[in-house]
Order: sequence, then structure tokens, then C-alpha cells
Amino acid sequence: MTTPVLSIRNYTLEYLTGAGPVRVLQDIGFDIAPGEVLGLVGESGSGKSSLAWAIMRHLPKNAREVSGDIRLGDTDLRALPGRELTRVRGRRIGMVFQDPSTSLNPTLPVGRQITETLVTTRGLSPKEAWTEALALLGHVELRNPEALMKRYPHEISGGEKQRILIATAFGCRPELIVFDEPTTALDVITGAKILELFTRLRAETGVAALYISHDLALVSRVADRVAVMKHGKLVEEAPADRIFRAPQHPETQILVDAVPRPERRLVHDQPGERVLLAAQDISVHYARRRLFRPAPPPATQAVGFDVRAGEILGVVGESGSGKSSIARALTGLADFSGNIRFDGRPIAAGRAMDRQYRRAVQIVFQHPDSSLNPRQKVGEILARPLRLFGGNVADVGKLLEQVRLPASFADRWPHQLSGGQKQRVAIARAFAAKPSLVICDEITAPLDVSVQASIIELLLTLRAETGTAYLFITHDLNLIRQIAHRIAVMRGGELVDLLSIDAIDAEHVHPYTRDLIAASPTPVG
Amino acid sequence: MTDLLRRLVRTPQGAIGLLLLLVLAAVCLFGPWLAPQDPEKIDFLGRFRPAGAENWFGADQLGRDVLSRLLVGARSTIPMALAATLLGTVIGSVVGTASAYLGGRWDEAIMRTIDAVMAVPGLLLALLLVSTLGNGATNAMVAIAVAFAPGMARVTRSVALNVRNQDYVKAAIVRGERGSWIVFREMLPNVMAPVVIETTIRVSFAVMLFATLSFLGLGAQPPASEWGLMVADARQYVHQAPWILIAPSIAIAVTAIAFNLLGDGLRDAMNPRNER
Repeated sequence: MTTPVLSIRNYTLEYLTGAGPVRVLQDIGFDIAPGEVLGLVGESGSGKSSLAWAIMRHLPKNAREVSGDIRLGDTDLRALPGRELTRVRGRRIGMVFQDPSTSLNPTLPVGRQITETLVTTRGLSPKEAWTEALALLGHVELRNPEALMKRYPHEISGGEKQRILIATAFGCRPELIVFDEPTTALDVITGAKILELFTRLRAETGVAALYISHDLALVSRVADRVAVMKHGKLVEEAPADRIFRAPQHPETQILVDAVPRPERRLVHDQPGERVLLAAQDISVHYARRRLFRPAPPPATQAVGFDVRAGEILGVVGESGSGKSSIARALTGLADFSGNIRFDGRPIAAGRAMDRQYRRAVQIVFQHPDSSLNPRQKVGEILARPLRLFGGNVADVGKLLEQVRLPASFADRWPHQLSGGQKQRVAIARAFAAKPSLVICDEITAPLDVSVQASIIELLLTLRAETGTAYLFITHDLNLIRQIAHRIAVMRGGELVDLLSIDAIDAEHVHPYTRDLIAASPTPVG
Repeated sequence: MTDLLRRLVRTPQGAIGLLLLLVLAAVCLFGPWLAPQDPEKIDFLGRFRPAGAENWFGADQLGRDVLSRLLVGARSTIPMALAATLLGTVIGSVVGTASAYLGGRWDEAIMRTIDAVMAVPGLLLALLLVSTLGNGATNAMVAIAVAFAPGMARVTRSVALNVRNQDYVKAAIVRGERGSWIVFREMLPNVMAPVVIETTIRVSFAVMLFATLSFLGLGAQPPASEWGLMVADARQYVHQAPWILIAPSIAIAVTAIAFNLLGDGLRDAMNPRNER
């Protein structure tokens, strides 16, 4: 048997906090063989990133390593003094981070940052480094590397940045690369291309990798073996194809079940015939014409669609495709031109939205942290729409129970709740008005897969109870294929496709829709 | 709240600032009883008496006890400065938050007006107002409040612009809340932290501004023992009896430092990131 590239044994890590030591990693142990990719999956807070930092030897000051070994080849990483460590980082272990926009120094041209790394890690001369960098960038399919190297990070796209970071990491020829959710911050299609690139580079270089992600479906496609973490413990470790087909541990089972599968429909009924909301030629404007500046182009072209009573209409598209602009127009947060008819009544502009419309159309926002006022208790937050729309303020407890939270949560502050619980409160706030249409703007995007599944389940139960229609905005095509009756596909402010869910695999769909489907990782097995 | 206090005391600036302020508060409350002598008792034999057993901080040109005058004068100095700052903060933070909420042309109009007012230095503006309103402590207080409001409005607006983009404000707009509710209930509570810090730091400016006005003869009027006025009176005798000048100057400086330290401490205590 060959020596593993990375070997971790009985590793236990604690953080010292004001409330005493908190154990974040407990008896972690695994090996990564040369050329192997180990996927590390777990919910947020399961300790995946702490483990990555422990391997990189960059732990916060209050971290205490209780026991265990971390060995890179024959080197004991824990025993290395600071100066030796800088020779390991970058040279022997590379790392690619989640958010490419914060991983590059915004004040230096991209080329300088790559060559600098190559000069320090591989000891090249600046001239050699420049030629090497050009070759590396060309190799990761970046067009015109010469020009790209002279640009600053804000002048290139997120996908390009991530390619540059990956090129640099591979270019240093390390033994191991740690990837910490490298595609989470990117669009579906960009992310899929990055994954392709990762697979190709790995096949070429044979470097070992630790691939961290919360997305089990994605990990099972790129990794050879998958390890599942829960509350700082490794609960299961198995080959990638087996973990999906035959998960052993109940935690893995939960993660596998939570992965949205397009073929498993969760909604079986048909919506009513009555058209609830009809939007025609909606185009959204963010700024008006100024004295010396022409009006900027509208965020969306003229878009038209309708939502029937009790229907779930999915809106998918990349970031910047204008899908959130539609939500803002429908709620009067952005100026728009065009016609909206709600329940047969015309609504000409945001100002014309009366109390009846504002009651009937509710919105749930993407970020649970910012959608609840941190200075108001949950009870106050929920009582306000009740008071405004003629409900009974004493119903706060009932509302909380409706979203499966204990009624005692009314006395809590938002910061005392988890992300999923906050999102439930935001949903309760929307349902306090007894709406007939709820706009969900990427409401599951910042949540873990398993929490996402429970929120979706809640939305469907609420729909069964109240008959509400949903306008469900998301970038997750697999998820929306499970629940929507119809799907609207947007790109660059245009509505490219509006299809019934049965027709999504049909021949006549727009090529972009087909690209989106192809880019959405479907689980193995 | 108690949690905040505990974190405040844990920072050295906060602890010292709080201690100094407690002493100053005690002086404001019990000054007349603490004073060893009548602050206005004239003693011609004791003119310019240096610090000693009879007069701990010396005596002034009329033989009045400097320590007693300081202790009694605290009442007309610190509460006035505090009131002026609070008034300025309330005006400024409401205007700033409202401006951020209204946005667009309203925001532009309000902020450009504020810029125009800020172009006039605070002291000059206060002088202008006092000379229009007439001399006196109350008018000086109003003048300082008005001079402070634009700065507070700017600070508040910059914070409120971030809050304006938060989803809970959008949610309030979407459900059709009135503007006053959004400004006072949704936004203001969330901009308070930086405003409170700014206020404590500004109190020290107010103490000095108020002293300056009194020094120029526009604030408190003689024979009041307001500290700024004491400095003004002592100016001519600086060569004969420097202590008459130094004692109230030190008192003003200590007050300013105390509020500044408290502001620094609050800034650290209110930043939850420092917990880790």
C-alpha cells in the first residue's frame, strides 16, 4: 500500500468561547490516496470548514487541538513551526475558496497575483512566471489570457476569477488541493463548467483533492469517495456511487432524501382555471433619466405571464436574469411599465397598489437574516400584518403553529433563531395577511439542503390548507421541477420560455432551457 | 442592557470613562453641598491666594474659592452640554433617517441643505444664532443643538441607507406601512448604535463649545460659575495667579476626555464581533 497524501487520525478540535469549550471536530480520521478525490459533505455548522482550516494550519486564536495527527505525506503538519508552514502552504497544499470575489486582491492586476504566487512557490524568475501564467490561463479555457492578466479583479466575471484561482492552485503543483465549496457562489451553468474543468485538470495532473460541499448530488459526481459529517463527527464514508444508492447512516439517509430529484414530483393536483394575476409587457426600471445621462436600459424587457389561482409558477434563471426584478415590480418595490391585472382589476403602477392588493400579494425574501427586524420580537413582527390587514392580534400563536414553530417563539428575538426558523417566521408573516399569491424570492437558496426540503414541505402544506398560489423564483431547476406546474425561464431580462412542467423535456424548448437542464447536477444512481 | 454595561466595563476606556462620569454626575447632583465655601463669597484679604489649606485650589481675583466655584459650576456646564447634544441628536437622527427613507429628490434636497449648513463652522453658526436669539444659557444651548444637528443627520443617514436596503424595511413598504411607522419603528431602532456612540463623543465638543460661548460672553452670564466663563474671567490674571485659569480648564478637559472614553468604550462594546 502506498503512503496516503493526507492522513488524519483521531483529530479533535475545540473552540474556547465565553460559554466554555465547544467541540467542533470529534475523532476525525480519514486518508486521501495519491490522485484521489475525497468529497466532504455536511450541513453548515457541521465543522467542514474548520477541518479545512486545520489542514491549512490557519486556525483562529481560540482554537484548541485536543488530540490527533494531521500528516501530509511523511510530514507531521501539527509539529511544523510557522516558517516551515509557509513552505507547505501553496507549495504542497493548495486551496480554492468559496467566494472568488473576495479571494483576489482588488488593488492588484490579476497577472501580478498569479506570477507572484508562482515566483514564491516554485522559485521561477518573474519572466518565466509570466509565460507559465499565460500557459496556465490558456489551459483553463480563458480567452485572451494576455489581456486578462493586465486587468483588475473587478473587471472580470466571477466564473473567470474562479478559473484563475483554480489555475493558480494547480499551477503551483501541490500534492493536495482543498476545495471549499468552489461553485456555491457561481451560477448554475458557470458552476457546471467549473466542475468540468476540475475533472479535466485532475485527470491530467493526478493531484489529490479534498472537495468540501453541502451539496451531496454535486459531490457524488466529482469525488471518488464521499465522507459525511454531522456535528463534527464523520458518520459515514463510502465510495461515491454507493453513498447515493445505499446510504447506511440515518444522517446520510436524510441528506440523500433532501436532494431534490426532478423525477419525484411533490405536487400532484392541477391549478384552477381562474387567472389570478395577469402581467403584460412588464419592464422594470431602476433609475430614471438624469439631466446629463440617458435613462439606463430597463432591467427586464417586456415580460408577460399569468398566474392562476392555486398555481405554482416557477421562475428560473441565472443571477442578473431579471427574475428578482419581476418580484419587485409585482410588489411595488420597483417602478415598472406595462399592465398588471389582479383578480380582474387593473393595477397601473406601484402607487396604485391599494390595501386589498397589498394584502392579497405577499413576498418572502431570500435572506432570512435581513428580512426580520432585529429590534423587534417575533410576536411584534407577526402582530403588525395582523393589525394592518384586519386580523386578530391574538392569533400570533396560531400563525407560529401554522409554520410548525412553538407558540412560545413569540417572545424570542430574531437573532435567537436559526436560518430555517427565521425563514419560517417570514413565511408566517406573509400568511398572516391571508394572501392569494405569495412570491418566494430564492427563499431556500441560503439554506442547507435538508432545511430547504422541510421549508418546501411547509409551503406545500400551507398551499393545501389555504389554496394560495406561489410565484417561486429560484435558480435550482431540480427543485422547481419537483413542485411547479409551469416554469418560466429568464435570461438577460427576457422571458425565453414559459412551459408546462410536462413539456420541459420536449423537443421545442429553447436551447438555453436545455443548457440549464444539462447544467443542473442530477444525483448519481 | 446589563450585558452591554458588563462589556463596557470590561474595556479599559469604558471603565475609566464611566468612572469619571460617575464622579462628574455626583458633582452635578451634590455640588453645592460638597463645596467647602459659598462660591460667591467675596474675600478681599484672600485675593489671588495660592492653593493651600484655606482654599484647596486657590482663590480668584475677588477672593472666591475656586474649588467651590468649580463644584457649583458643574451644574450649569455639563447638563447644558448634555441637553444641547441630545436635542441635536434627536433632530439630526430623525432628519437623517427620514432622508434615507424618502430617497431620490427629497434626499437630495435635504442633504444639500444640510451640506450648506455644515459649510458654516459650528462655532460660527452658534455665534450667529446666539446673536440673533440674544445672550443667555438657554439660547446658547439651542444654538449648539442646531449647530450639531446637520452632522448627526449625515452620520445617521449613512447608517440608515444600509438599513433602508434591508428586507424587513422592504417588507414594511410592501405591506403598505405609513412612512412615519417605517422611519420611527423599523429604521430608527436599527441606526441607534452608531448614533449613541457619536452622541457621547459630541458631548465633549458641546462642553467645549458651550465654554467657548460663555468665554466670549454669549453663554452663561456673570456671576455664574460656569466653567467657560471662569476661564474667561481668569484670563487677565494669568500671570499673577495661573491656578484660576488652570483649574476650570482641567475640569473642562476631564469632562471632554470622560465622554470621549465612554464613546470609545461603547463603540467596542456595541460591536459584537469583538466578542470573539
